[in-house]
Amino acid sequence: MRNFLTPLIDKLNSLPKKESIHFYTLLYIAWKNFSSKKLRSFLTVFGVVIGVSAVYFLLSFGIGVQQLVTTQVVGDQSLKSIDVETPNSKIIALDETAINAIRTFPHVDSVGILYSFPSITTLDGGEIDVVTFGVDTTYQELSALNLINGRLLIPSDNKSIVISEAALRALGIEQPSEAIGKDILVNIPLSGVEATQTRIKDEFKIIGVIDAGSGSEAYVPSGLFDAAGVPAYGQVKVVVDDIANVDGARKQIESRGFQTTSLADTLTEIDDIFRFFNIVLVGFGSVGMIVAILGMFNTLTISLLERTKEIGLMLALGARRRDVRMLFVFEAGLISLAGALAGIALAVLGGLAVNLAVNLNAQTRGVTAWFELFVFPPWLFFATIFITLLIGLIVVYIPARRAEKINPIEALRRE
Amino acid sequence: MTSSRAKHTDEKVIIDIGEVSQSFTVGDETVSVLKKIDFKLKNKTFNIIYGPSGSGKSTLLNILTGLQKPSTGAVQFDGRRLYELTPDKLAHFRANEIGIVYQQNFWVKSLNVLENVAMPLYFSGHSRFEAKKRAREALDLVDMRPYEKKNPSFLSGGEQQRVAMARALVNEPLFIIADEPTGSLDSKNGDMIMNLLDRCRKEYGRTIILVTHNMEYLPLADHLLHIEDGMVKQTTDDADIQTTTDDLLLDMKRRIDRLSKERKNA
Repeated sequence: MRNFLTPLIDKLNSLPKKESIHFYTLLYIAWKNFSSKKLRSFLTVFGVVIGVSAVYFLLSFGIGVQQLVTTQVVGDQSLKSIDVETPNSKIIALDETAINAIRTFPHVDSVGILYSFPSITTLDGGEIDVVTFGVDTTYQELSALNLINGRLLIPSDNKSIVISEAALRALGIEQPSEAIGKDILVNIPLSGVEATQTRIKDEFKIIGVIDAGSGSEAYVPSGLFDAAGVPAYGQVKVVVDDIANVDGARKQIESRGFQTTSLADTLTEIDDIFRFFNIVLVGFGSVGMIVAILGMFNTLTISLLERTKEIGLMLALGARRRDVRMLFVFEAGLISLAGALAGIALAVLGGLAVNLAVNLNAQTRGVTAWFELFVFPPWLFFATIFITLLIGLIVVYIPARRAEKINPIEALRRE
Repeated sequence: MTSSRAKHTDEKVIIDIGEVSQSFTVGDETVSVLKKIDFKLKNKTFNIIYGPSGSGKSTLLNILTGLQKPSTGAVQFDGRRLYELTPDKLAHFRANEIGIVYQQNFWVKSLNVLENVAMPLYFSGHSRFEAKKRAREALDLVDMRPYEKKNPSFLSGGEQQRVAMARALVNEPLFIIADEPTGSLDSKNGDMIMNLLDRCRKEYGRTIILVTHNMEYLPLADHLLHIEDGMVKQTTDDADIQTTTDDLLLDMKRRIDRLSKERKNA
């Protein structure tokens, strides 16, 4: 039977002579022994398959759910940004001086600012309350606004406004596209802050419509509030150059008395919960693995006992003790590797099948987006194979030690 | 006959057993199995070790095959002290320079005849191709080539012993050590194995060390070693072998006569 492996096998079969047996030859003998005991090898490997697939299936589910939750929480937001607020604006002001200082901190890339005030907004006779945010373009980018019509603010905008679909609907406009280009009257009282003006009241041109759920909100250029002499920002977003530097930058900002929050906090919490969740899942899967380990130990021990004479013979014919030990290690390795590969294959098939079933079920209930409940990252594949091989190595320790201690004279004694 | 034998024998001493003793401790007792055994074997000779059961023959063979370190004394093969070698070197020596045939043969059951024969070559580091090529040649010598794909455990006793001979010859060893190789065979198969051993010495210049109970094979030897009670009772060389054999046969005849007489009288 020739196949793509034939050239490799031919090459291995004709390795140059060494002082002692080639590893390849030992591996071949291990393979012959493994494959000559078909039923026993199959059952042993099957045990490992059950154990590995249980662990792999449950873990890929745990990781899948974790990714789903993380994606839901993070969405399009940047993990490199830090939200900065002041615990008490009267004592520590989040003002231009403060953010100019923050800009000079190491690893800080950019700083986005936000003012937020309630306003009364009037259009075509309709009047509603709208939360108005004064933002610069940096802050606007970091807010990941979901634009559905028109455009977002650009630095040259002055009397322009981006408004939420819900606010428009409250004002009687059903089609977002109809609103683009309309002038809208916005009245923002600046009470409670020591601003130079008491209010901002002006006509704004609607340039874009966003989907903000049911919230009535609007975005205008932050420059208007600067000009009105509002002394401090409502919130500031600081962007650092790398996720790894988030913690360092937060510490520096907090040392100036500000409060910071970051998406990383939430992610850490999610990770903590799922770490526990995954440990529980692996715990369940490990029950199968323990049974598999016992099966493997049993098989290797029986193999040792019934091959005492064979091993004695090999030693008499010139095998070194370590060759005999390696023979057992290779046999355990074959069982582990076969079990790991087949176990992973079974778990992946099972995961894909369950995922398909859940998705189809969800679609009948009106969910349109396809989601992945099971995730099979490459590291999990390699880690599973590595750990299964490691387990095989631990399990084979006692049989291999016993094999290499066999006394050929005792083993070959006439019956 | 004596002169034809001398042709194959050079005078070089190849095995030198110097005052080898072996004792085992069983419980509180120390049992001496070999007591200061001392002999030399010459290159390319056919040597037969004989003696009653329990005389220490098997222990001597284990010492000669490098598996049993004697309590005292030195074992020298071709000038090398065997038990001063490292365990790995000793394994290498077994794989390269000794061919072993047992009374009852052992096989690696998952491997076929060809690969069982190739086993010593595997352990001495040959590639599988090379080992199998040479194993086929060895099987040709014993006319067992057509059986190369079979499982050795399923062959008849005589066939198994021929395959074992091939395995002992495959590494072109200096010595072939055979422990009662004809013990489980009928006389036809036994004779064939003995002929093979004789050919090994004559045609391939191997040194043969044979342990046997079968007196009829004694005349094949260049050198007889009679072991009794863990000691060398008698060594016999070339010309005297026929006399020794005659004596042994005479002795056997007397035993037979005595036993049949006793039976008649009873």
